Amino acid sequence: MTQPSSNDKNIYLPKVAILDRVQDEIQEVKTFFWHFENPADQEEFKKFRPGQFAQVSIFSQGEFPASLPPSPTEKETFFTVRTVGSVTSGLHQLKAGDKFAVRGPYGNGFPMEQYYGRNLVFVAGGIGLIPLRSCIIYALANRDRYKKIQVFYGSRSPRELMYTQNLREWEKIEGFEFYTTVDRGDADWKGNVGVVGSLFKKPDVKVPVENTTAFVCGPPIMFRFVIKDLKDMGFHDRDIVSTLERYMKCGVGKCGHCCIGMAYVCTDGPVFTYEQIKKLGEDI
Amino acid sequence: MRARIVDKNDILKIVDILRKDHEVIAPFQGRGRDSFFDVVTDANRDQVKMHLHNPYYPPKRYVLPHIEKLFDIDQAKMDVKAAYVEPKRAIFGIRSCDVHGIYHLDRFYLGRDYKDPYYERLRRGLFLVNVVCTDKELDIDNGCFCMCANTGPASTEHFDLQLMDLGDVYMAVAGSPKGEALFADPIFKRGDDSHVQRRRSILNEVRKHFKLAVNWYSAAVRYITTGQVPEELWAQVGNRCLECGACTYLCPACTCFTVADRKVDGKVVERVRLWDSCALSGFTRMAGGHNPRRAVHDRRNRRFFRKLAHYFVQRELSMACVGCGRCIDVCHGDIGMPSVVEIIRRGCAGKENDSTIIKR
Repeated sequence: MTQPSSNDKNIYLPKVAILDRVQDEIQEVKTFFWHFENPADQEEFKKFRPGQFAQVSIFSQGEFPASLPPSPTEKETFFTVRTVGSVTSGLHQLKAGDKFAVRGPYGNGFPMEQYYGRNLVFVAGGIGLIPLRSCIIYALANRDRYKKIQVFYGSRSPRELMYTQNLREWEKIEGFEFYTTVDRGDADWKGNVGVVGSLFKKPDVKVPVENTTAFVCGPPIMFRFVIKDLKDMGFHDRDIVSTLERYMKCGVGKCGHCCIGMAYVCTDGPVFTYEQIKKLGEDI
Repeated sequence: MRARIVDKNDILKIVDILRKDHEVIAPFQGRGRDSFFDVVTDANRDQVKMHLHNPYYPPKRYVLPHIEKLFDIDQAKMDVKAAYVEPKRAIFGIRSCDVHGIYHLDRFYLGRDYKDPYYERLRRGLFLVNVVCTDKELDIDNGCFCMCANTGPASTEHFDLQLMDLGDVYMAVAGSPKGEALFADPIFKRGDDSHVQRRRSILNEVRKHFKLAVNWYSAAVRYITTGQVPEELWAQVGNRCLECGACTYLCPACTCFTVADRKVDGKVVERVRLWDSCALSGFTRMAGGHNPRRAVHDRRNRRFFRKLAHYFVQRELSMACVGCGRCIDVCHGDIGMPSVVEIIRRGCAGKENDSTIIKR
C-alpha cells in the first residue's frame, strides 16, 4: 500500500510496518525485528543516525517513543522494548507477521562524524545499552575512523545482560576493549562484580581522557555516579554525551511534554552533552 | 495599511459580506459577565456585540480545537486516513490580545522545522476581523494588561481587518490584501484627517483606563532567564496552585496537547489530540512511573519559564503571554501572570548576586 503523497507531509501519520520476528532479550525485554510495508518508506527510514528514535504506534493503544538500537550500517531494523505501560505491552503481544505502525526517525542523534579521530568510551547500564548499541556497531563498522574504542557495560545480574550474541562477538574483536560487570554474580559468573564505575579502577583498564568522547546511558542513579567517576578522571563536561528520555506524544516539538528547561528533547535532543544537560535546569 | 470609514449602522453588514463565503464566528452576550463566541446565523445576526467582555473561552479553539481528530485507522485493513478539515472561517470581533495569541500559535505550529498540517489547514482559511477595545466599561476588564504585553488595545498587525469605534462611525483598517479587498463594497467610505486625529485621541484616552498597566515583564524575563528566581519563590507560587489546569486551557498562547486513540466502532479507531496542561501531574510522568517534575512548583515554574524565558521569546518572536487577563480571572490561587511577575519582581529585586553585577 502506498500512501497518497499529501499524507507524506503529515508529521503525525505513522506508516504501516510488519513484524518479522521477536527475540527474547531479558525478562520483560524483547527485540522486535520489523520492516515497513512500503519499500520506499524502508529506504527513507534507513537514513537514520545512531541515537535517533522513532514513534511506535499500536492502534487503539497509542504511541510511544523508542530508541533505535540498530546501526544504519546494519541491514535489519528493530526495536528493543521493555513492557512498562499499555502500549509497550501491546507491542509485546504481537507475533511475527502482525502489523503495527512507525514514524520517524526523529531527534538529533549522535554526531558520529564529529568524533572522527577520537577515542570513544561507552558506558552503559542495564537497558541503557539499547541506544548505545547503535553507536557501538556504527563505530565498529567505521573502525579506522576512530582511535581507541572501549565499552563498559553493567547490569544487575548475568541473566540481565542484553544482546548476548553481540556481547560474545565483541569479546573476540581485537583492538576493541569490552568490559562487563554485574551487581550480583551467580555460580557461573567469572567476570567482575560491582557497579559499572568499578571497572574504571581495575588495574588492567586504562581509560583515555585526552581526545576522548564518553557516551553514558543508564538509569538516573548510575548516570550520576558514572558522571562523577568520569569527572574525577578529568573528563570535560562537553566530552560526555548522553541521551535523555521523556514522556512524548508527538516527537516533533509540538506537544510540549518533553520540554526540559530550554530544550525540547524530541527535536533538540535526545542527545545532549553533559555541559548542555547541566544548563537545562531541571531534573534528568 | 489602508483605512476606510464605515457608518455605525452599517457595521454588521461586514458580517453579512463575510457570511457569503465564510462561516462567521462572532461574540455574543450571555447572562451577566458571561460572553461567548458562536457561529452567526440569520436568527442571531442582530445580537452580535461590538462591545462586550472578552469571552473566557478563547478563540484559539478555531485553530486548535480542544479535541481534534488526526486520523482514522481501519484496523483490519491497517488503512490510515488523515482527517483534514479546511473550513473557510472568519472571526468577527476578535480582540487584539487574541489576535496576537493566534500569531503566537502561527509561529509555534508553522514556524519551525515541522509544520503542523492540521493547524495549517484551519489557519489558511481563517479571516480575522479585529475590534479595538474602546469601551472602558465593557471592553476593558479589571484583569486586562495588554498594554504591558504590547498587544493592545489596538493591534498593529496580524489581523485582516481592524474595526475601531470612533463614536458615530467606525474606522476600518486593512491588515492584509484579503482585508483590503473588502473595501470594494460601498459601505466603506473614504475618511479624512479628522478621523485619524479622533482615532489617536480615543486611543490615548482608552489607555488611561487600564487598571493593570505596570506589569514588570522585563524584570521577570531577566530574573527567569538568568536563573535568579530562588526555589523558595517557586515553591511559594506552587503552593497556591490547585492544579486545575484552567490557566493553560484558557491561555490564547498555550500550545500543549496530548494524543489518545479512541474506538469509533468495532473496526475503526480514531487518533485524536486534546488540550493538555503542564499543571497536571501526569504531564511528564513516564511509563513505569518516573516523573521528573513531581513537585507542583516544578510544574508551575515550568509554565512561567516557558512563557517568559528569553530563549523562547526569541524563538517565537513574542512572549507566550498576550495580556488578555484570563488567567487572573480564572485562577483560584491568584497566581495569574501579573501576580507571578510581581512575586518574582519583589522576591528577586535587590538580591542579584554581586558577581553578576560586576560582570556586567
